[in-house]
Amino acid sequence: MATDFWTSTHYKQLLDQEEVDVVHSLDKERGITLEDFKLIKLHMTNYIVRLAQHVKVRQRVVATAVTYMRRAYTRRSMVEYDPRLVAPTCLYLASKAEESTVQARLLVFYIKKLYSDEKYRYEIKEILEMEMKILEALNYYLVVFHPYRALSQLLQDAGMSDATQMIWGLINDTYKMDLILIYPPHLIALACIYVASMLKDKDNTSWFEQLRVDMNMVEKIATEILDFYDYHKTISEEKVNAAMLKLTMRM
Amino acid sequence: MAGAAYGQLNLEESPSWGSRSVECFEKLEQIGEGTYGQVYMAREIKTGEIVALKKIRMDNEKEGFPITAIREIKILKKLQHENVIKLKEIVTSSGPEVDEHGKSGGHKYKGSIYMVFEYMDHDLTGLSDRPGLRFTIPQIKCYMRQLLTGLHYCHVNQVLHRDIKGSNLLIDNEGNLKLADFGLARSYSTDHKGNLTNRVITLWYRPPELLLGATRYGPSVDMWSVGCIFAELLHGKPILTGKNEPEQLNKIYELCGSPDEINWPGVSRTPWYSKFKPSRQMKRRVRDVFRHFDRNALELLEKMLTLDPSQRISAKDALDAEYFWTDPLPCDPKSLPKYESSHEFQTKKKRQQQRQNEEMAKRQKVQHPQQHTRLPPVQQSGQPQPQHWAGGHNNHPMGNNTGQPPLTAGGPSHHQYGKPRAAGPNRYPPGGNPNPTVGGGGYYPDRSAGQGGVGFSGGPYPPQPRAPGVSGPRGSSGGYAPPNYTQNVPYGGGSGAGGGGGGGRGPNVGGNRSQPYSWQQQ
Repeated sequence: MATDFWTSTHYKQLLDQEEVDVVHSLDKERGITLEDFKLIKLHMTNYIVRLAQHVKVRQRVVATAVTYMRRAYTRRSMVEYDPRLVAPTCLYLASKAEESTVQARLLVFYIKKLYSDEKYRYEIKEILEMEMKILEALNYYLVVFHPYRALSQLLQDAGMSDATQMIWGLINDTYKMDLILIYPPHLIALACIYVASMLKDKDNTSWFEQLRVDMNMVEKIATEILDFYDYHKTISEEKVNAAMLKLTMRM
Repeated sequence: MAGAAYGQLNLEESPSWGSRSVECFEKLEQIGEGTYGQVYMAREIKTGEIVALKKIRMDNEKEGFPITAIREIKILKKLQHENVIKLKEIVTSSGPEVDEHGKSGGHKYKGSIYMVFEYMDHDLTGLSDRPGLRFTIPQIKCYMRQLLTGLHYCHVNQVLHRDIKGSNLLIDNEGNLKLADFGLARSYSTDHKGNLTNRVITLWYRPPELLLGATRYGPSVDMWSVGCIFAELLHGKPILTGKNEPEQLNKIYELCGSPDEINWPGVSRTPWYSKFKPSRQMKRRVRDVFRHFDRNALELLEKMLTLDPSQRISAKDALDAEYFWTDPLPCDPKSLPKYESSHEFQTKKKRQQQRQNEEMAKRQKVQHPQQHTRLPPVQQSGQPQPQHWAGGHNNHPMGNNTGQPPLTAGGPSHHQYGKPRAAGPNRYPPGGNPNPTVGGGGYYPDRSAGQGGVGFSGGPYPPQPRAPGVSGPRGSSGGYAPPNYTQNVPYGGGSGAGGGGGGGRGPNVGGNRSQPYSWQQQ
């Protein structure tokens, strides 16, 4: 919403990878590893996406919700803040912050429809309670910039408008990672264009050069995206379930 | 890195990223009240700093944290400008307040949330309502320039304020003016074509396009409000004081002419154009009604009060107007006088006390001693101090001689860190009292009646007296010092009914006004 990312709170809040990859001590006690931590966040991203499809909100709301969820877990424990409650709550809060309000009862309705597992079933009251806690965890910083913003101009400029769909999809996938907490969104967008150029065998080197951005950074992000796709193939439902189980297990 | 970024708000107290507790502050006094929540003046215990705490009411548990508060927080966290009120942090209360509700203790969500703002001493309405106080032209230019600078910043950041009015313009004792109360503000973008509500902006300051039902609009809505404030500052009282929406529109037409496809291409396609179509053509009379304003002021006002929003001047262009670059130039905020703080809640209490004291004094036929030593500059000159509300003293040429505590001079400032929103976005429901400076209505019951009576739009415009004998700060200031301008209007159904000298000079001119006060003359 702000016009200028560089003066935004989002920019001031960018974290280092090491800061994002800290498993809360309470979660460690339950045996949650860094991989589990990432898996659960991935799983919850998928949950938010799924729920969002049912309540019909814009992609921007989904992106903001996922960002809230990921930000919240840089400083809150999953044992204390059950991801199965945090995820829908972040969608609820993001829908307000992005001016596409979704009623809490509608969310609860679809949660029940989507999951028979009782562990996912939360009531309105609990979502509203968690909303306050998320707001606090976010320190009330609610503005998020997304890589989608300048995409169409960038693609037009790069002569890659035909790849819009693919790159849009790539950007959506970046929310399965923590990139949005770590890198400025326009660099994420450029990295996605970079990946798409590679996949489509299109040489965009000169276009990237004239952008005067830190190409090392763009390449680094692109590599992370490609690594993630490789890693993603190895993820199985069992792995995710095992990680989720650790949360509920009593030690 | 994260620590530093977040920690700029509350690093030491909350290494775990929580909000601080409201117990870090000592509430001193309530300075505002509304459906939105109370506003308190408070002291931060650790630093001694004075702040304003605006409570966010969490009554509506159906949809959690209010979206209006989310908007306001989002916007305020993003806007960092010397002419925009600064949101310092957000604090929560737990414990005791939870117990009051008798519900499960310890959960913060059951408690209250407070927005912590820098404390400001006045708002523009409260300040200009001070009896006997009149702003000088450099002072008006100074406030207007700050208002436009702050608004330009908002508009550049794609924020519409949508409730610009005097009581939302806070002023500190350094003469700084800051936009406050972003509870109705919205971010907008030119590419996102969503519809916006037209039920925003306090009626008197609402532009014609909103009254005609427009749901796609932009920064120009705020500029209309600025025009209303500008005229109000020069004229001495609100200029378009409709009691309901049709009447408001009619008053606008009476002043600015009726809209047609020539002066406002496309107006006939606004949703309620035919519904509110005036029965007869009306001519634009801005130059006539405000002919006592100086040329550059009038020129700027004309551009602000332009019916067609697309032709209305922008904040940026307004800042470039001749008005701000010709003598007398805007003064330095720091050169402005310091006034006793004026908050509705404080002045209300003081007024009550004063009333009691006066009655006592009457009974005992003795003058009670001066209770306050710090006088606003205006008082020191022995400026008449109307006490219309109390009855009796308003004809007294020298308010101080009555020994009344000068503090009561503070106007009903209705301080707006947060404001009453009794009627939702449309604060003043049709038929209701549309007076934006009367909080609950009825505290100054005379006021709206008085203004209704003296407003120019009720019928033929009353003569705008030139007030012979007015000598403003400069020799030529007849034009700068609007004859009608005094601050006792609000009290006075006052000026007409009670003001002794009113009769001969037209309805707006009370006895005091033949001696316009300018603190510059001191």
